[in-house]
Amino acid sequence: MSTVLAGHGLVKKYGSTIALAGVDVEVRERDSLAIMGPSGSGKSTLLHTLAGIIRPDAGQVLLRGERLDDLGENRLSALRRKKFGFVFQFGQLLPELPAEENVALPLMLEGMPRRQAVARARRWFAPLGLDGLEQRRPGQLSGGQAQRVAIARALAVEPDVVFADEPTGALDQRTSTEVIQLLTFATRNTGAALVMVTHDADVAAHCDRVLQVRDGRISNYSQFTVA
Amino acid sequence: MRSPVLPLTWHLTRSSGRRGLQSHLLAAGAAAVGAFVMLVIIAATLGAGTRADHTKWRTPEAVPAKQATAVQALATTYVRHEPVTVVSLAQLPGRHQTPAPPGLSSFPKQGEVYVSPALAELLHKLPANQLADRFPKVRSYGTIGTAGLAAPDELVAVVGRTPTDPAVSKAAGGSSSWFDIGQMERAGIAGFNGDTASMFTSGDQGIAVLGVVLLAMPVVVLSAAAGRLGAARREQRLAALRLAGATPRQIIAMTALEAAALGAAGALTGALAYVALLPALAQVPFGVGTWYVDTLWVGLPWLATVVAVVTALITVSAVSMLRQVATSPLGVAQQADPRRTRMIRLAFFAAALAVIFMFSGGGLQARQAVALLLLFYGAFWLFGPWVVDRLGRLVSRFAKRPATLLAGRRLSDDPRGAWRTVSGLVLAGFAAGFFSVSLLGSDTSQYQGQVAVSTAHAADARHAAGEARTLLHRAGVTATVTTGRTDAYDNLLGGGPGVIAHVEGGPAQLDTAVTVLTPLGTGRLPYGQDYAGGADKATFDRLDAVTIGTLALSFLVAAASAGLTAAANVLDRRRVYGLLRLAGTPLKVLDRARVRETVIPLAVLAGGTTAMGAYGSYQLNKAAGATINTSGAIELVVCVVVGVLAMFAAISGSRPLLRKSTADPAQTAD
Repeated sequence: MSTVLAGHGLVKKYGSTIALAGVDVEVRERDSLAIMGPSGSGKSTLLHTLAGIIRPDAGQVLLRGERLDDLGENRLSALRRKKFGFVFQFGQLLPELPAEENVALPLMLEGMPRRQAVARARRWFAPLGLDGLEQRRPGQLSGGQAQRVAIARALAVEPDVVFADEPTGALDQRTSTEVIQLLTFATRNTGAALVMVTHDADVAAHCDRVLQVRDGRISNYSQFTVA
Repeated sequence: MRSPVLPLTWHLTRSSGRRGLQSHLLAAGAAAVGAFVMLVIIAATLGAGTRADHTKWRTPEAVPAKQATAVQALATTYVRHEPVTVVSLAQLPGRHQTPAPPGLSSFPKQGEVYVSPALAELLHKLPANQLADRFPKVRSYGTIGTAGLAAPDELVAVVGRTPTDPAVSKAAGGSSSWFDIGQMERAGIAGFNGDTASMFTSGDQGIAVLGVVLLAMPVVVLSAAAGRLGAARREQRLAALRLAGATPRQIIAMTALEAAALGAAGALTGALAYVALLPALAQVPFGVGTWYVDTLWVGLPWLATVVAVVTALITVSAVSMLRQVATSPLGVAQQADPRRTRMIRLAFFAAALAVIFMFSGGGLQARQAVALLLLFYGAFWLFGPWVVDRLGRLVSRFAKRPATLLAGRRLSDDPRGAWRTVSGLVLAGFAAGFFSVSLLGSDTSQYQGQVAVSTAHAADARHAAGEARTLLHRAGVTATVTTGRTDAYDNLLGGGPGVIAHVEGGPAQLDTAVTVLTPLGTGRLPYGQDYAGGADKATFDRLDAVTIGTLALSFLVAAASAGLTAAANVLDRRRVYGLLRLAGTPLKVLDRARVRETVIPLAVLAGGTTAMGAYGSYQLNKAAGATINTSGAIELVVCVVVGVLAMFAAISGSRPLLRKSTADPAQTAD
């Protein structure tokens, strides 16, 4: 499998604080990578840098061989919309839109006609266990359901990479397991890679590989064999 | 034990950071605008009443002939289309000395002429044969003081006469035509305790009240929006306090205290702005012109009341926003269900309209009229959100673009919120649309160019016609002079005896004709088209001015409300906006959705009612054989265009806040 996303010698500083101190990382197609580490270790900075949200002070980020870190803000924004999907801890769904329109939104932003976008969004509801919840608003969904809608939204654009930042941080253990299983299964099925920040070892265990980050450096690397 | 509420509130307010300070400043700013607008409309209403009171001495208060000490005659003449009130006074011989009229130091002697400063200026500016020759020739004019005047721009003359002068004779009592009502009056008097205000000021207060009614709700809405500002920040902070053990009562007390302090500070600023801007406000013409500054001073009790009311409104709004937090520690801004509206609102509105229609026939008493008005207001207030809800559903159903879809969904998600922002404009728009293009009142266009001189008998008219031709010719006025016929009702004499001069030329020629023909009138001044339309003009021009002024102020208030609501929405939703932007949603999509959320109901509802008002007025005009008031229509268009631009500017004002709030949500070392 070819490399989809790579970061080479990534350095990021916030004032005198070094968030990333020369990190190298590669993500292949259908690969799932968990980034773990204590608070303030630089794990979220690494995810945001790989996603083109933060520009590194040094080093390069490559998406299928194309540099991201020197692109303009508009191109980066468009690229995040087309090539990446995002799942955050909470609060990423627009409260006034029904679930199906929340999922269809990125497609509409890409210019897809609304009817087609909503139809395509609906396809994700059954596989993610959201059947019958298409018209519900985020406020009418449980935490786990809302995260599954967020996963559907991230996958709807058929991205190259899905970035997840503590996607189960606000969920109980049982729901957390359900959501992470769905996330890894669905990304793998669509051929997308998954890069996820988590502090939960059980969640990380669902990924192919785990990076431990400490003081802006990779301190440990482990690989699991996923059935 | 001492209550921790006050010190804790003070500490939290102080340490709320830059974003907190922004919210505080915006909330105080809204309170300032609300208090300012409220004070201005109260000042205009009270001031209009004071102005009317200042004119009451001019209409003679008849006393029995034996008690009369003088004869007073009120007359009205027009120069450059503006009314000049002429009060002729004659002391009766052998009677007690009549007291001095207001604004004069003594009762005028025969031959003395006192004029208002504005009239003095005009007398100086215009040639004598266009104005001065209408009055007795004097070496110098006396000046009428402010006690006798309603406004600095008023044109008033007081002329001392002998009791035998035709100007105070019975003929000077008018009533030969309905035009004279309010413009001519004559009676024996013993003083100046009249109770009838001048026709040019008597309706002003009532019309100003219309402005108060139209503006009251927008000001309330603005104050409520100010109270809502920072609700999310407050909710988070106070929810944390609740979890830390604060009681609901303490939470509410802290919120009320903070909101009241901000509201009071803002309202006081608005009150100070009103005081500081009084001289400038006094220069805004209404009715009989600009204002005396002290006429617009509302007094300390009103000032204190307005500050208290605005503060109370903001406090109540802020507290009501926090009810959820106070009752449940985790009940924070998680709106599960859209605030849908029910069909019952439409039914109630229809029922209210039916009731109003049934009872609004003739013979309505003031209390009943107020009750019907309140019913309409209440029904309208309930109906508005239902319309916004349906509009939102319609927009989202047919939306093709994400920004329009978002705007439509938001409208139906919180129709009351969207309605509050535009509600003031909906009512004010209808009134302004109707009155600005209307040509209400009697059509006097058939009298254009005519100058009438009444005579006692038809025989006098023939003689007067000859003299009129000579006088007009000498003055260089081109005119055709005819005598009035008893069967001719298409001229200003309306079948009465007299002379009609059909003058060619503009206002200068007409004023010259009126002036040179003055000696021919036996007891009454010559008059023209302005005199015939004076009463209607006094009413409908004011209605036009008030409704346009109200629309302009409504736009100011609505722009402030829209700006505040937009800023509050950005602050409330900064997390979801930030994450959406992070995921690649263009800022312009979020921004367009915010703008459309306000513009759609503004265009459909406020634009719709304004157009409806204008169309209704046009149809009325058409039925009366007229077209539209072009200058009024232009005023309306300018007001709407400027107002809409102000709304856009106010919403765009929060764009930097949106940009900043969503710029980099990932700026953490983690």
